[in-house]
Amino acid sequence: MVNRAKIKELMNESACSHNKDKKKGEGCDKPKPGMAAGGCAFDGAQISLFPYADAVHLVHGPQTCLGASWETRETKTSYAGRDHTVMGFTTGITTNDVIFGGDKRLADSIDYIMEHYKPEAIFVYSTCVTALVGDDIDMTCSIASTKHGIPVVPVHAPGFVGGKNLGSRLAGEAVLENLIGTKEPEFTTPYDINLIGDYNVTGDMWQYLPIFEKIGIRVLSSMSGDGRVGDIRCAHRAKLNVIVCAKSLITLCRKMQENYGIPWVSVSFYGKRDTTFAIMEIVKALGDEALIKKAEAVIAEEEAKLENALKEYKELFAGKKAVLNTGGNKAWSIASGLQDLGIEVVATSIRKSTEDDIAKAREYLGENGLLMKAPASEQAKAIDERGAHILLAGGRSLYTAIKKKISFIDVNQEKKVSYGGYNGLLNLAQDLKHAFNNPVFANVSKKAPWEV
Amino acid sequence: MMELQKKIELSKHEHKPLQVNPIKHSQPMGAALAFMGIKNCLPLMHASQGCASYTKVFFTRHFNEPIAMYNTSVGDITAILDGGDYSILMSIENITKKNTTLKPELIGLHTTGLTETKGDDVRSVGVHIEIPYCYVNTPDFEGGMESGWALTCKALIKQHTLTCSEIKPSKLLLLPHVSMQPAEVEKIKEFCEGFGFETLALPDLSTSLDGYLSEGQGKLGTGAIGIDDIKALGDCETVISIGTSMKIAAEALLEKNDKITHLHFNHLMGLEMNDNFVASLMKIRQIEPRPMMKRWRGRLQDAMLDSHFLIGSSNFVITGEPDMCVGMCELLQSVGGTIEAVIATTYSPILKDIKATNVFVGDLEDAEIHFKNADLVISNFHAERLLHLQEKHTGLVLRGFPNYEELGNQLKNDQLYEGSTYFLFEVANKLREVKHHE
Repeated sequence: MVNRAKIKELMNESACSHNKDKKKGEGCDKPKPGMAAGGCAFDGAQISLFPYADAVHLVHGPQTCLGASWETRETKTSYAGRDHTVMGFTTGITTNDVIFGGDKRLADSIDYIMEHYKPEAIFVYSTCVTALVGDDIDMTCSIASTKHGIPVVPVHAPGFVGGKNLGSRLAGEAVLENLIGTKEPEFTTPYDINLIGDYNVTGDMWQYLPIFEKIGIRVLSSMSGDGRVGDIRCAHRAKLNVIVCAKSLITLCRKMQENYGIPWVSVSFYGKRDTTFAIMEIVKALGDEALIKKAEAVIAEEEAKLENALKEYKELFAGKKAVLNTGGNKAWSIASGLQDLGIEVVATSIRKSTEDDIAKAREYLGENGLLMKAPASEQAKAIDERGAHILLAGGRSLYTAIKKKISFIDVNQEKKVSYGGYNGLLNLAQDLKHAFNNPVFANVSKKAPWEV
Repeated sequence: MMELQKKIELSKHEHKPLQVNPIKHSQPMGAALAFMGIKNCLPLMHASQGCASYTKVFFTRHFNEPIAMYNTSVGDITAILDGGDYSILMSIENITKKNTTLKPELIGLHTTGLTETKGDDVRSVGVHIEIPYCYVNTPDFEGGMESGWALTCKALIKQHTLTCSEIKPSKLLLLPHVSMQPAEVEKIKEFCEGFGFETLALPDLSTSLDGYLSEGQGKLGTGAIGIDDIKALGDCETVISIGTSMKIAAEALLEKNDKITHLHFNHLMGLEMNDNFVASLMKIRQIEPRPMMKRWRGRLQDAMLDSHFLIGSSNFVITGEPDMCVGMCELLQSVGGTIEAVIATTYSPILKDIKATNVFVGDLEDAEIHFKNADLVISNFHAERLLHLQEKHTGLVLRGFPNYEELGNQLKNDQLYEGSTYFLFEVANKLREVKHHE
């Protein structure tokens, strides 16, 4: 069960930067009525755990929770069995369950799943309604686990306890309490790491895993991109936790450090500089001189290859300026990628950023870079004054780009290709090239015959 | 293993404890969509923030448009201590204070599973709200998207339409079911206007999610019917409900004025149903259809003959909202198509009228069993991946919610003589591709 003490603990995570000099509107605050735009805690938990393709994810709740959310994320997996990440399982409770409780339905659903799908594990997600009526999900899961001989993990992140971020933390708690440390790996190496917080969306991880392999870093387990439940159970034997672009799972890392003595590093694989930095952080943390040497050599080789491939793009992008309007860490991570391609980022949004993100954005954009607090009203002016050639923003800003007759990329749209690692930069370059070359923005902005 | 499963009967009761790969969508989502079809309406979902966030993403991807959608963000404390008043009133205040240019003319409030379970009195909150306010109870543990949409229409009429004893000759109200896309509503309106009716639709998505480039989108509903129009619906001469789910809304209007004539059509697909529709309009207006209408009837007849060979030798599986399924079945059967199975999202009495061996309420796990007997499947986005998993090459025509990947969903038109014609050609051409492979 989830209780207030746990929520409070997670909201006040000591290792989390939000809580130093915490200001209003930052990361872990409670949603304000009418103002919340993002997903709920259940959403966050789902995002953090759904990539386990060998497990079935059973949502114990009414229709909206799963009906509107399944098969919406491009979390790729190499799992050879039936990929459960692209499937939806819900108890879809009805009025009867609200009145009399849904435990029986839940138990029957688990039996049904075991009979027809035989997964390696089942995650059972509580939701607002089933948490409120007080279904004893822990007990049902525990009985089912004994009955079927697989982990049946209750995930207590009902939507009303908070936002996505908190949900991810709660998912981390569920994994820590129920899975990590319950199995021993077949073998270990001095270079075993856990990847935490990369969900392998559009295959992001596959951009950098081959490089890890070349260097000799072994991924023991993943939470949860292309992950396996069997592997995460062995996660306590890793030498290092690598947290990728996700503040939400810091609690998990801190607790694993306390319980198992595993240190952690926080990295991002977006753009050339960040990727190189990330790899060096990991090998330094593993602390083996030979490994560091190897990494340096591999990086040099990869960077040279990339620079070569980027040459034509850099020529094409010379002198181009961009305005960026997106939230959170994207404000600097995309900026970093654009700069790696030789594009000047003249303005970025800091509307939803934390203090850390703002500092980073300032660092990347430099003294003259414009940090927009109210991008919706500022971006048009920024485009004019700074002579930007492209706007990277959410769909709502498309009209601004059309009016200013400049190119546009929807950064919030579901990506089809990965922008991660060294090679992801080439994908980004290609998308930018297409956006710059496309006459559609100029064509659409032409006046109608009755407006001339 | 799957083959041995016994036949699933049509029933209000579920045949298994869970849904695997669900096609059912929730009542609150239908309500939210309905409110988007009202001019300057602020759709406000009384829920924890995730419900609205999911709904918003769902419709953004289906329509490829920014979506106007707000929520009361019920938290753990308000879930227990608040009766709804605080979160609803604070939401309205926060939203309008933050954006002073936002001038909502209607607050469209609807509940969800969470707020129904805690039992909020959303009706009485209304007395504290200065903007016109409409509330509707749409728990997502009951009904589905189709009923959520219909309940919202009913609520709008019941709460806002003034009682009336006069009728305005030739004033017509259309009540389209939830599966009708913006272009379809527009086409039917135009068709009725062609008979000289002053035509309104409730809800009217034809100017809301029709994919139109303009500034400041996605803040309020931009439907073609406003709250003042809704207030004045009592003097309609005729109300036409399309789809069984919409009967409750028509009945609500009749309570406002018993002089209104109610016409009901289960759908507007195929020759026979459209002939009935046209005959009714002719009878009221005592005029001939316009030449283009007659021309389209002839084109539909021709399309039926052109496509009958391919469709007449093919088996179909259809999944979706009941009101959509029933129209498609009748159209396909009118040119000899065999309906292998209809898997509906929720129960509706109209499902009993479908003449097919397998008609039941279920999910895509149930539908998958029938896919192998089909030449063509008509279903939503989720069917695509499932069809790729099977060896047999089966065609797919995407209809219903959600259609995340295809573009132009808002302008698809399967209604009237014209839309039915295009539908038959699309189906036949898809069948040709499939059968070519064999």
